[in-house]
Amino acid sequence: MYLESRRTFLKGAAFTVAGAAIVKGVFSTDAAAESVENSKFTNTPDSLSFYPPLDQWNSFQELDGTDWKRGGIDRHGVQSEENPDGILVNDFMIVPTACSNCEASCGLTAWVDKKTFTVKKYMGNPLHPGSRGRNCAKGYAVQSQMYDPDRIPFPLKRAPGSKRGEGKWIRTTWDEAMTTIGKKMGDTIRKGDDLSKKSVMFHVGRPNENGFVPQVWETLGLDSYNSHTNICSSNGRTPTIWTANDDRTSPDWANAKLIFLNSSHAADAGHYFQQSAGFIADARKKGAKMVVMDPRMSNSAGMSDLWIAAWPGTEAAIYLYLANRILNENMTDKKFVKKWFNWETLMNDQEHLNFMLQKGQITKAPTGNGFDDYMDLLKDMYAPYTLEYAVKETHVPAYKLEKLYEMFIWAGDAISTYIWRAAAAGNRGAWMGGRAAYFCIGLRGAIGTEGGTFFHHWHVISVSGKGGSSTVGQGAGGADVPKIKVWNELTWPPEWPLSTYEMSYLLPHLLTDTAWQKKWNDRGLKVPSKLAVYIPRMYNPVWINPDGFRWIEVLKDETKMELTMNLSPVWSETNWYMDYVLPVGLAGERHDQHSEATFPARWTSFRQPVLRVALEKSGWKAKNPNRATLEAHVKAGLGEVWEENEFWFDMCVNYIDPDGSLGIKKMWESKRHPGKPVTIAEWYDAAFGDNLPKLKETAINDERYSKEEFPVYAYLRDHGAWMEEDKIYNAMERELKFEDGEVISHGHKFDAGSMSIGAAGVISAKDHEGKEKKIGIEIDGKKMEGFETLTRKLEFFTQWATDWHWREYAMPFYPRNDKEKTEMVHLVSHVNHMYMKEENSFALNTVFRLPYNIHTRSANSKHLMEISQNHDPIWIYTKDAQRLGFKRGDAMRVKIVDTVSGLDSGYFVAMAVPTEGVMPGTLACSHHGGRWKLTNHVTIPNGVSDGKIDPSTAPRDLSNKEFLNESPANIGKAGAQTKIDDYSGTSGINSFGVPVAELQMDGKVGKLKYVEGIKGFKAERFAQYNRDSENIWWDGLSGSWQNAVAAPHPDPISGMHCWHHKVILEPAQPGDKIGDIFVNYDNNLKVYQAWRDQLSRGLDSNSTIRRPRHIKRPWVSLDPSAYDVHIKS
Amino acid sequence: MDELTARSNIYGLLSRIMLQELDVEILNTLMNDKTVLEFLPHWNEWEQRTSVAPQKLLEEYLNPDFTNLSLLHLVPYETFYTRADQMVETGGANPVTDIYSAYDFIVDYAVARVVSADHIGVELEFMHHLCQAQMKATQEGDTDAATELQAVQHRFLNTHLLQWAPMYLINMKYESRTPLYYDAAEMALEFILSDNETLTTDIAKAP
Repeated sequence: MYLESRRTFLKGAAFTVAGAAIVKGVFSTDAAAESVENSKFTNTPDSLSFYPPLDQWNSFQELDGTDWKRGGIDRHGVQSEENPDGILVNDFMIVPTACSNCEASCGLTAWVDKKTFTVKKYMGNPLHPGSRGRNCAKGYAVQSQMYDPDRIPFPLKRAPGSKRGEGKWIRTTWDEAMTTIGKKMGDTIRKGDDLSKKSVMFHVGRPNENGFVPQVWETLGLDSYNSHTNICSSNGRTPTIWTANDDRTSPDWANAKLIFLNSSHAADAGHYFQQSAGFIADARKKGAKMVVMDPRMSNSAGMSDLWIAAWPGTEAAIYLYLANRILNENMTDKKFVKKWFNWETLMNDQEHLNFMLQKGQITKAPTGNGFDDYMDLLKDMYAPYTLEYAVKETHVPAYKLEKLYEMFIWAGDAISTYIWRAAAAGNRGAWMGGRAAYFCIGLRGAIGTEGGTFFHHWHVISVSGKGGSSTVGQGAGGADVPKIKVWNELTWPPEWPLSTYEMSYLLPHLLTDTAWQKKWNDRGLKVPSKLAVYIPRMYNPVWINPDGFRWIEVLKDETKMELTMNLSPVWSETNWYMDYVLPVGLAGERHDQHSEATFPARWTSFRQPVLRVALEKSGWKAKNPNRATLEAHVKAGLGEVWEENEFWFDMCVNYIDPDGSLGIKKMWESKRHPGKPVTIAEWYDAAFGDNLPKLKETAINDERYSKEEFPVYAYLRDHGAWMEEDKIYNAMERELKFEDGEVISHGHKFDAGSMSIGAAGVISAKDHEGKEKKIGIEIDGKKMEGFETLTRKLEFFTQWATDWHWREYAMPFYPRNDKEKTEMVHLVSHVNHMYMKEENSFALNTVFRLPYNIHTRSANSKHLMEISQNHDPIWIYTKDAQRLGFKRGDAMRVKIVDTVSGLDSGYFVAMAVPTEGVMPGTLACSHHGGRWKLTNHVTIPNGVSDGKIDPSTAPRDLSNKEFLNESPANIGKAGAQTKIDDYSGTSGINSFGVPVAELQMDGKVGKLKYVEGIKGFKAERFAQYNRDSENIWWDGLSGSWQNAVAAPHPDPISGMHCWHHKVILEPAQPGDKIGDIFVNYDNNLKVYQAWRDQLSRGLDSNSTIRRPRHIKRPWVSLDPSAYDVHIKS
Repeated sequence: MDELTARSNIYGLLSRIMLQELDVEILNTLMNDKTVLEFLPHWNEWEQRTSVAPQKLLEEYLNPDFTNLSLLHLVPYETFYTRADQMVETGGANPVTDIYSAYDFIVDYAVARVVSADHIGVELEFMHHLCQAQMKATQEGDTDAATELQAVQHRFLNTHLLQWAPMYLINMKYESRTPLYYDAAEMALEFILSDNETLTTDIAKAP
């Protein structure tokens, strides 16, 4: 048939118009098509991998992403001379670094466009073993932070003649600032007395490095390194210290069968969440179950297999219910318990057994001291933690607790958890929740196993401060740095001898409380009444700490803080009250060694100033090798932005101790170039090379690096991450190593000849200073490292707690009735339901993060602020809202009331959002909201008039030799100020996310009211990166500054600020606006004093030491004599 | 050579009709070219063809029908018919893209106004270009190239057009509301089947 029609179709030749004229002509066979064929690009790649192999990182061509929106090469071809309208091809140098927008240190790569010498994008680092090429929203925000139009472009100094907080600023030079600050530091240190060693304080927010600045403070001989930890996680760390003498948990999410989250942390915000979420997803894909215990239905809880909303602070009761069932239903892993619980210590401590009997913790004395007797004792002790009891105390329905037990048993020894913030950080005594969690996990033998729970120090690398062999004075690993012989009561007050970290949030209270100072001075201590220098770093204590008005009072007082400076890249509430603000870099603009325990391995990332690295790899050399990062950032147009490593090298050598008389200069003087500060490459080559043998071996045997001057540094410069050791399980069973007459345990060497084995198999030996230490344990003839505890086992009986007046809490315990709750109030949350007596009283849960907010630093990233708008209301249970007459969107007054002193702290006004996603009787409102500023703009005209030097004349282009040959001379010095690109003399303050407020304070009462929201604006600086800055639809209000209303609540044991509050809800009054706060900070001082005086058990005239010697005293190494104390009666 | 010219012209004509709405200029050809009218008998006989003004004919009859047949009701894309999930592959994984690229063809979407390269109008135009290329090779005496181009046409017909276009064209024929598109669907269906037989026979005869 069709062949017949063929003849018909032949007629087609007779068309009057040829087909060629009829067709639309949809094909082009011109340069566009050829350009695709001649390129490496295709629309059908073999792999969808984002990342090219490492050998292409120095020069990687990639199609421009923006042009893809036009349809890609299929429509336009590849850009070339013949095809100018094609898709642009970028020539990138890919430089690895690490994120700094939370604590996880996920890998990043900066894609540096060679033609413009700008970072076109930040992506993940596929070589990073924890983050595996992935990042969260905060990671990608690094770029918007780098090109933030409001970033501080040069060192700022409070204008002469103005007072702190007036907001008058001038541009200064790095040299002037370093001379002034360095002299003040040097003069203070030179006094040499105890008080001066406590008076130059560094106060770190998120450290995001493993030991560098602490090492600086150690070489300065100061006990005044302070951290934010006690507003963060110390109640989460205390159980780890008491149980394993370690700093924190280390889970193995990826191999777990039961993922037991004690909060929204880990999976949707907070610690390591991006890496954790990936590992948790891996595990769930393999069939793991997830339990989330949180009074608020977080994102994680919403995705969990079981959501348990327990009344805040009662979590220990749930764990002990599990323990009861495990013990009494004979589900205990007896082999593990016998081997690794310190049962012998308890069973041989008759005094304590008598105490337990007397207090009713056990009903009968054990008949023997064997393991079976121990098991009988545990069964007896935990029998009262019945289902009925747990339901009553926690308000969790019985069926959920029974389900939890089933899942717990089903998971065997593959139960992974992470004890950190949330419950622990919110509640007084909630450290016991973590301890009880470890207890029942231990009963199941799930400690150190694959898929189980382990501890931090085996899974982390801390070498940032150990580059000493590159210096004249420090010696390898800092061995020659003198130990510090003083104890700072401002950071380690005598009332909290077991405080996990420094009592940092009480700093303004302790400086204000002259009666407290006098009390301890009269008793023989030397308590500072002021600070000579106060240096917060990337920290915003005014905003984030409780009782912010007290911070402002003290920061403004030049008699209490004589000189202040913040090393900060962005504006903050705290910076406003500083004498100097010195801009140091963000994630892609600084060097840090940073490692975290995110899975059972030891990895480190290497944070780098990526534009400097790109310049150096292209052949550029800094004029001043000690200020290379500063020069590079000026060349890149970021402004006079530096980094801390080079800043402190230079400070120590040339400004604090320029003549070397303090012994500090030599500590940071380069061994290769005596008289000059050590360089980045010298320091990190030593820090990594001296301490990570596998890395060193790899680097020096790699032909790409073996001929480099600093091969180990160069390896990490190119890779950005390294894993020294993987699959670290049951590390406590590692056998002691013997070499050359020495015995090695946990990496430390001891005299093998001095080794002895004591009670319960504990092995002791002498260190190089002749001090005897517990170094291991012998079990069944095997000499193992064990845990870091005194008994080298898991101490579920913490015998040393009895020496510090906390005998009743030496075992995992939770009050079993109202009488015990009154007697053992230290373990009862200050927001326990027993305190909720009024019909409008609630427990306010404050401790959770919004996954896209970074404490202080989000406000300089437009997309993070945009997606977080209006996300911090008060979550209130639907029926509670109904009962009190609150509807969605209503303004409420949230009045904070202290349950120890009974005092009111004031109130904040917040928006009601009724929801089924919060436990009845509790509220939720993250304390990460309520940023404010006092003005929209700051004008610093001399920032223009002083910047006369053009940083370079050649166009910014990494392939331009002229550009590579140039570098600004005398950088940081007077007369060498550089022009700042597109800087007009006036810049905004956090224009993407912080509204303007009016602030009033009179020494006793403070108020804050927002007066103006943010608006769109035309960005002048970095305009190409901020083309949509006019598109701002939100007003910037991110919640109420509730932290300022909060009074400090120091946990009597851990020292943690317990964040939750008892609150009374009232309708808003006429004139109230969401965001308003009213604070009685005079009362707040009294609240802190009440917690201190009514709850703590501090040093007394019987005390001989300040703190147990064997537990961690973070940051600087103290001489043993610093622990000694004599308190007058 | 006449046969080749005829095939090229017919592919061109069908491509244009299937690709986009008609315009007055092409409509004139369709109304006046006697050979074309012979191919489209119902259109030829349709009263409105001559009684309605061309612009009105387009706006009120033909273009609404075209819109229904290629945008609203039917889906003139290969991947819609060949993928199990009936999704049109608009990205680089479209199976025709590689073939076009192999012969240095690239679809200019701004001209074509289609969502992907496997639109029936684009595939028919590709056949037209292959015929044109074969003609050029024949005229230049490059027998190898001419033979190869003929084989490409055969392959393209069998791996693409014939895999799905008959289904679309049958649907088109029965969904059409104007004689023009009714005839065009039938003509296209018959032509591609016939052309395949022609090519099969010619290739079998080739030395």
